[in-house]
Amino acid sequence: MYRAIRTAALASLLTSVAAVAVTVPAAAADKTFSVGALNPVSGAGGTYGTGMQKAIILAAEEINAAGGACGTRIAVVAEDTQTSPEAAVLAAKKLVEVNKVQVVMGTWSSGVTLAVMPITTAAGVPLMNTSGAPAISTEDKEDLVWRFQATNGRFGQAFSEIAALRGFQRPATMAYNNASGLGNTEGFEQAWTARGGRLVSKVVYEPKQASYRSELQQILAANPDVVVMGSYLPDTTIILREWFQSGENPDLKWIIPGWAANEKLVEALGPEVTAGIIAVDSISNENAPSYARFGEAYARATGEPAGANVYAAMTYDMMILWGLAMQASCPDLAPRAINARLRAVDDPTGEAVYGFAEGKAALEAGKTINYEGASSQLALDEYGDVTPDFSLSVITDGKIVRERVVSLGVK
Amino acid sequence: MEAYLLAVAVIALIYTLLTLGLNLQYGFTGLINFGVVGFFAIGAYTSGLTVLAGWPLPVGLLLAALAAALASWPVGLLSLRLRIEYFAIVMLGYAETIRLVVTSESWLTGGVRGIAGIPSTSAALGLQADPTLVTFAITLAAVVAVILVTRHLIASPFGRVIRAIRDDEDAVRALGKHPGRFKVTVFVLGNAVAGLAGALYAHYITYISPDQFVSLLTFYIWVAMIMGGAGRIGGAVVGTVVLMVFVEGSRFVRDVMPGVAEVEMSSIRLGVIGLALMLLMRFRPQGILGTKGNP
Amino acid sequence: MGSAYLINLAFNGVILGLIVALAALSITLVFGIARFPNAATGDVATVGAFAGLAVTATGGGTAAILGFGVLTAAGLSLLFYLILFRGLADKPPVASLIASIGLAFFVRAVLTFFVGHNQQVYPLPIVRAVPFGPLRVQPTDLQVIAVAVLALAAVFALLHLTAIGRRMRAVADNPDLARASGIAATRVLVVMWLCAGALAGVSGTLLGIKTVVSPEMGWDLLMPAFAATILGTIGNPVGAVLGGLLIGLAQELSTPIVGFTYKIGVGFLVLLLMLLVRPQGLFAGNALVR
Repeated sequence: MYRAIRTAALASLLTSVAAVAVTVPAAAADKTFSVGALNPVSGAGGTYGTGMQKAIILAAEEINAAGGACGTRIAVVAEDTQTSPEAAVLAAKKLVEVNKVQVVMGTWSSGVTLAVMPITTAAGVPLMNTSGAPAISTEDKEDLVWRFQATNGRFGQAFSEIAALRGFQRPATMAYNNASGLGNTEGFEQAWTARGGRLVSKVVYEPKQASYRSELQQILAANPDVVVMGSYLPDTTIILREWFQSGENPDLKWIIPGWAANEKLVEALGPEVTAGIIAVDSISNENAPSYARFGEAYARATGEPAGANVYAAMTYDMMILWGLAMQASCPDLAPRAINARLRAVDDPTGEAVYGFAEGKAALEAGKTINYEGASSQLALDEYGDVTPDFSLSVITDGKIVRERVVSLGVK
Repeated sequence: MEAYLLAVAVIALIYTLLTLGLNLQYGFTGLINFGVVGFFAIGAYTSGLTVLAGWPLPVGLLLAALAAALASWPVGLLSLRLRIEYFAIVMLGYAETIRLVVTSESWLTGGVRGIAGIPSTSAALGLQADPTLVTFAITLAAVVAVILVTRHLIASPFGRVIRAIRDDEDAVRALGKHPGRFKVTVFVLGNAVAGLAGALYAHYITYISPDQFVSLLTFYIWVAMIMGGAGRIGGAVVGTVVLMVFVEGSRFVRDVMPGVAEVEMSSIRLGVIGLALMLLMRFRPQGILGTKGNP
Repeated sequence: MGSAYLINLAFNGVILGLIVALAALSITLVFGIARFPNAATGDVATVGAFAGLAVTATGGGTAAILGFGVLTAAGLSLLFYLILFRGLADKPPVASLIASIGLAFFVRAVLTFFVGHNQQVYPLPIVRAVPFGPLRVQPTDLQVIAVAVLALAAVFALLHLTAIGRRMRAVADNPDLARASGIAATRVLVVMWLCAGALAGVSGTLLGIKTVVSPEMGWDLLMPAFAATILGTIGNPVGAVLGGLLIGLAQELSTPIVGFTYKIGVGFLVLLLMLLVRPQGLFAGNALVR
C-alpha cells in the first residue's frame, strides 16, 4: 500500500517536473501566466497534497491543450506548505517574489491559509483554498480569497440535517481539540439547537492519548442515542474500540466525518465494531461530466480513483475556474481583473458548462456561463465560499454504503 | 528573489534572537532550557493581543518581553533547587503546559483557532512600507542590540561570575557569591529575548495558533546554538544561518533533484537535524567554529 | 458522578500508569547507571511496536508481537549504546542527553521515511469487557496488567537476585569505585542497555495493542515517562513505577474538576508541586543502590 503511494507520489512528481519543463520552452514563444500550486505535500495533509498538486497540473494541461486562456499558456510552479504556517509563509513568498506567480491555489489547513492570506493579499494575488475555518471569510477584506471546500459550519449543518433525518433525539458530541474538530461539533450544536434540539453531553479531548476511556465514560453516562464526532482516524479508532469493548450502550450510533470513518477505520476495527456507523462527507459533483473527465485524467495520472482524494477535485476546479475567468477578462490579465470575473463564469443564470474548452467556446460566442465543477456546483457565495453537497453513508458488513445525498441548498 | 531572501532573513533573525537568548542561558551559564518555544509563544500572544487591542507596537514588544520574563521567574527559582537534568525535563513540561493553557483559554487566545489579523509591524506603526522590510529592520536592530548588551554583560564582572558558575558552581559559592541570583537573572533575561522574538514573529506572520509553538522549534534552536558553538555570540549567528540555509535550501534541492518526493523530504529534514545533533555531540561539542577548550 | 464513575476513572489511570511506568523504568535504569535522561527511549518503544507489526503479517498473536517487539527494541538499544552513547560516556551528561534527542529524531525520520505517517493496527480480535461489580475490565487491560507486572518482576529479580544485577547496583552507586574494584563495567552496561530496551519494547507493544501503531507514539509517551521518572526519583526503579501510577491516576481522577483538555497538564502540575517540596524526588538518592 505504502509502496504504491510512494510510487504514485514519485511518478506524479516526475511527471509534474516534466510538465513544467515542457511548458516552459513552448511558453517562451507565447505569453505565459504563472500559477502557484501551494499544497500540503508533507506534514498532516501529506495524504492529499500530491494529488492536489497533480490536479492543478492536469487542469493547466487541459487549458493549454485548448489553446490556452486568452491566448496565454498556464505554467504551474509547485511548492510544499509542509502543513505548517511558517513554512507556508516562506513558500508563498518564494512563489510571489521569486516565481512571480499571479494566483496561488490549493492551501489546505486553515492555519496555513490564514498565514498565507496577508502575503498574497498584500501582493494583490488571489488565494484559493480548501480550508474550513470561518475566520478566512471575515479576514478576506478585499475579496481575494476563495474557498472550494465546505466550511466547518456547513459540515455541522449537514450533521444536524442527518441526525434529524434519522430521528435521533439525544445527541452528544466529541471533538478533537483543533479548529476543524471543534468547528464541526460546534457547527452541529448551533444547527441542532436552532431546530429546538439539545445536546445531552459534549466533550473536547486532547489528541495523542493512550486511552479515551474517561472521555467516553462521561459521554456514555448521559445515555445519548447518537454521538456526533469531530475527529480524525487514530483517535476515532481508539474511541470506537474502547466503546465496543466496554459493552456499554451497544445500540449507540455514531455520526463521523468521512475522513475518519473510511476504509482504514473498517480495516482497523473490523465489520462488527463499525456496523451502523454513519459517515458524512462533502462529495464531489459525481454526476457532472466535469467530474467524469477529471476522474479519468486523475486515475490515468496517479493510478488512484478520484474518489480517494476529494481535495484533488477542488484544486482541479480552482484552475479551470481561474482559466475561464482569464478568458472572460481577456485581454486584461491583471490578477485583480481576473479575480473580479470569477463569479461571472460561475453565474447561476448562465449556460452550464463542464470543461474549459466548452466554456471558452461559449465565452467566445458572447454567452454568460456557469461552470459546474468536478468538486461541486461551486455557486460561490458573497464570501467566496462554495456550496458542496454531502453524502450520508452507513457502514454495513464492512462496506461503506452510500444511502443518500444531502443538499443544504444555495443561500 | 530579493524579497524572498528578505523573508527568509526575517525568520533567520527571529531564530537568531532565540539562539542568542539560549546561548546566554546555556552557553554562558550552563542552564539547560528546553522550554524556549514556551516563552516564544508567550511573547507572540502578548504582543499580538496588546496591539490588536489598540496599543502601539513598542508597548506590545515591551510587554511581550516582560510577560516572558515574568513567566520564567518562578521556574527560574525552581531551577536553583533542582539537578540540571531534572530542570531540563521540567522545562520541556513547562513549555508544553504553556501550549495547553494557550489551547484551553480560548476566551483570551482564540484557543485552537488562533488569532488571525494581527497587525503587521508596518501596519502597527502606521507606515505604508513593505511589512517584511519593516520587520527586517526592527528585528535586525533587536539582534544588534541583544548582541551588544550580551557582549557588555559578558565582559562585566557579572559575566565573569556567570561563566564561573557554568564551569564550577561550588567554587563560586566558596568565594562568597550567591550563584542563585545570577542564574535566575540570566534565565529571565534570556527568556525575555525569546519573548521579544515571539512578538516579532506574531507581527510578521500575523496569524498565530498553538500548533505553531511545538517543541521542534526548541530543538531547532538548540541545533543552531550547538552548531555555532555554545558560549560564542558570533556562533549563535553562524549557527542560525547554517540552519536556515539547510531548512530553506531543501526547497531548492528538489528543483535539481526531482527524484525525492516532498513527503520523504520532511523525513530527511528531521533525520538530518537528528544526525547533526548526534554527530556534533560526539565529535564537535564545541561547534563547527569552536576550538577545543572553548566549551 | 457516583463512586462507580470514579472507580472506573481510577482503573483507567492505573492502566495508563502501568504503560508509562514501563517506559519510566527504562529511563530510570539508564539514568541510574549511564547518568543521563535518555530521550530516545520513546522512539525505541516505537520501533518495538513496529517490529510487533511485522510478525502479525506472518500470523503472529499477542505473544509473538510482544516477543519480537521486545527483542528488537533490546537489540536496538544495545546497538545505540555501542555506536553512540559509549563514545559519549566521558563527556558531561548533557552531551548524551542532547545526542539522545538527536537519535530520537533520527529514528523517527527513518521510520516515517520507510513506513509513512499512516496509522497501523495489530490484527487482534476485539473482545467485550467483563464487569467486576461497577468496574468494566477489558481483556486487553488484563493483558496489560499481567505483562507489566511480569516485566517489572523480572527487572527487580534481575537487579536483586543475580550477580550481574548486584554489579549493576554497585555501578549505579559509584561508577569509579566499581571500576576500581574490578567490576566489568562493560558487561554491566550491555546488560543494562538490553534491559532498558526490552522495557521500552514492552511499553511500546502494549501501547500498540491498546491503541494504534504510529511513528509518533513513542515520542508522545516520553513526556509522561520523564515526569514519572523524576517524580519517583531518577535512578529509583520502585519510584519510577509508583511515579507512573501516580501520574496516570492524577490525570484521570482530575478530569471531573479540570476537564479533559487540561488533564495532561495535571501530571506536570503534580511533578512541579512535588519538586517544590522534595527537589530530589519522592525517594531520596539513587535508590538503584538499595
